[in-house]
Amino acid sequence: MTALATPVRAGTNAAPARAKKRKGLPPVLLAFVLVPLLVEGFWVLWPALQGFYLSLTSWDGVSAPEWTGFGNYAEMFGDPTFRTAALNTLIWLVLFGGLSAVGGLGLAMFLQRERRGVGFYRAALFTPVVFSLVATSLIWQGLYQPDGLINKLLGALGLESWQHAWLADSNTALYAVLVPALWRQLGYVMVLYLAGLKGIDPALYEAAKLDGVTRWQQFRYVTWPQLRGVNSVILSVIVIDSLRSFDVVWAMTKGGPYHSSELLSTYMYATAFQSLRLGYASALAVVIFVLAFGVIVTYLVRAFKEDTV
Amino acid sequence: MNESGLTQRRSPGLTRRGFLLGVGSTALLSGCATSATSGPVKQAAGAVTVQSNLSSAQAKVAIEALAKAFSARGGASATVNTVASETFRTQLPSYLTSATPPDTYTWYPGSILAGYARKGLLLDVGDVWQTMGAYSDTFRKLSGDGTGKLVFVPTTYYWWGFFYRKSNFAKWGVQAPTNWSEFLALCETLKAKGVEPIGIGAGGNTPWTASSWFDYLNIRINGAQYHRDLLAGKSRFDDPRVVKVFEQWKTALPYFDSRGTAIAFQDATTSLLQGRTGMVLTGTFFTDAAPKDVLDDLDFFQFPVLDTAVPVVEEGPTDGFFASSKTAHLDATKEWLKYVATAEAQELYIKNSSGTALPTHPDAKDAGTPLVAKGRKMLQDAKDLTQFFNRDSSDALQPTADAALIRFIQKPQELTSILNEWQAAAQKVWAE
Repeated sequence: MTALATPVRAGTNAAPARAKKRKGLPPVLLAFVLVPLLVEGFWVLWPALQGFYLSLTSWDGVSAPEWTGFGNYAEMFGDPTFRTAALNTLIWLVLFGGLSAVGGLGLAMFLQRERRGVGFYRAALFTPVVFSLVATSLIWQGLYQPDGLINKLLGALGLESWQHAWLADSNTALYAVLVPALWRQLGYVMVLYLAGLKGIDPALYEAAKLDGVTRWQQFRYVTWPQLRGVNSVILSVIVIDSLRSFDVVWAMTKGGPYHSSELLSTYMYATAFQSLRLGYASALAVVIFVLAFGVIVTYLVRAFKEDTV
Repeated sequence: MNESGLTQRRSPGLTRRGFLLGVGSTALLSGCATSATSGPVKQAAGAVTVQSNLSSAQAKVAIEALAKAFSARGGASATVNTVASETFRTQLPSYLTSATPPDTYTWYPGSILAGYARKGLLLDVGDVWQTMGAYSDTFRKLSGDGTGKLVFVPTTYYWWGFFYRKSNFAKWGVQAPTNWSEFLALCETLKAKGVEPIGIGAGGNTPWTASSWFDYLNIRINGAQYHRDLLAGKSRFDDPRVVKVFEQWKTALPYFDSRGTAIAFQDATTSLLQGRTGMVLTGTFFTDAAPKDVLDDLDFFQFPVLDTAVPVVEEGPTDGFFASSKTAHLDATKEWLKYVATAEAQELYIKNSSGTALPTHPDAKDAGTPLVAKGRKMLQDAKDLTQFFNRDSSDALQPTADAALIRFIQKPQELTSILNEWQAAAQKVWAE
């Protein structure tokens, strides 16, 4: 994020100062800039470009790739599975991202004040973050089984009609998979918001109270504006986490039944390593990359521009 | 991120194979290996590495016993790397294209094998075959690459059928059916007794089990040749003859375990053994995970004949080994392949496994139980043997079948759109 923010700052007020300094830049400092750039270029940028090249080919992973131009991208328009996956990714972004942000903020507000035992609740909510998402998925898979804990509980409560083969039903699979992902993400977002809330100067609240504001006004005019920096971090975190959500879906449903819980990421993996259509999979990867990069860069550039003004 | 995993495949100087097998091979392979005896991929001493996907408990014991016996003979020795089946399958292209590949691999014949052979990745084992004696022509045909070169050594094969517990059928007072209407009547009786008649484990990570139903119905209704042509892309999945397959399937669908698409294959066979389901259409490999004491209580009946004009064909998937053409231990590798093709080695393997597999060597004795004798006779009487959906077609086509068949089991009324989408998905695989 700082890397992205720097050019913006440099363009506004720090440019002349830097130009003067550059003359005397010692070789050691230059090496500090160039070496990581080379490493980054070799390990990140070059493979990314290769990925883009591959997306213009048809390749089975063993023979030589065949050039197909934008054929893979054209195919996406007529591919119903791609449409399902893209729509599901959007649903995932809204539900997973939205609920974890709202829920995380709610929990942080609730657990913000120091009272007896609050540390226990914070820790309890953060604990899921510690577990690997694949391990979490396996446990939830057990809970969702036809005679797993969830259906047994529903049965005990007399809600037999609610019992479901959660992961095998195309209407519920996506949402069933979303729950464990959310269960984990909430604690993570909560901790970020807690840190943000701790950073707000209590004097602001005192001043607000003297003015006799309601709780809602306190949130609206003090807390929320003060959280702006944290919000931009959280936005980028949840957008990235939504788009790269893969492990939980792959471990629980593999995108099934019949693609109903397919995300772009799982579809890309299945296309690459199950169908061995690496060209098309690369094209999907490029789409994911553009989405993630587009959303984050636009937002961050805007957010930090406002900050510097 | 995900893209970088893909894109690393093409960077010069850092090809995926170079990366995976040059840098990460030891870590990757021994990391995945569940076997304590696993060695590194390449050994200076010259042991043959056997990359094995036989990860179920009894099969793993058996293959390790085989390697031990091979090494104990003096001369070349072998070490087994057991890798989880799914990992093995997805890594196979990287194993084979690596500069220092493992020497031999457990695998099966089919289009994947032929594909690798055409790319020159597999060792020509014609001279191994010369030492193998009177193997049947079926196996010889299966082991070719399509151009007359032999690239595969078959060691065992097995049969599919409706498995059930004799004690449960006796308790319910029912008998194995001999035709489709008896089969449906049996299902009806079981249902009336509160038993789920037909178990299936097409949920979790094993949706492919549903393909056995498609395979069998298709070879019973349209015959083996049509089935193979269809799977090779010479016919369409929205063909009226394929529709007939599904119309027949619909008559049995009400008797399928309602949880069939929600549970994995292992849970389905557990349900069968516990008597919650009446029967399961499955291959004998499920016994590798079954308790030894139930083996004697198991029986099976043949998939009912639907059209007497169609020659009776059975699924008889064959397993065995192939070797990398880049093996660094050419002589030792061939020695290993010659060894596993012997009657002695196959008997040793069968003795150490659950014993329901059949040896491919004409003189090798099977486990000799009535169940195995019955299975062996069924395959011998068959006019032809098919392998299995993914073996007769390709692993790339399997996911298209999984999506279509699971959707059919859940929503049979959407058949038309299911078949249209299946055809569209399959066409992309064939076009590749």
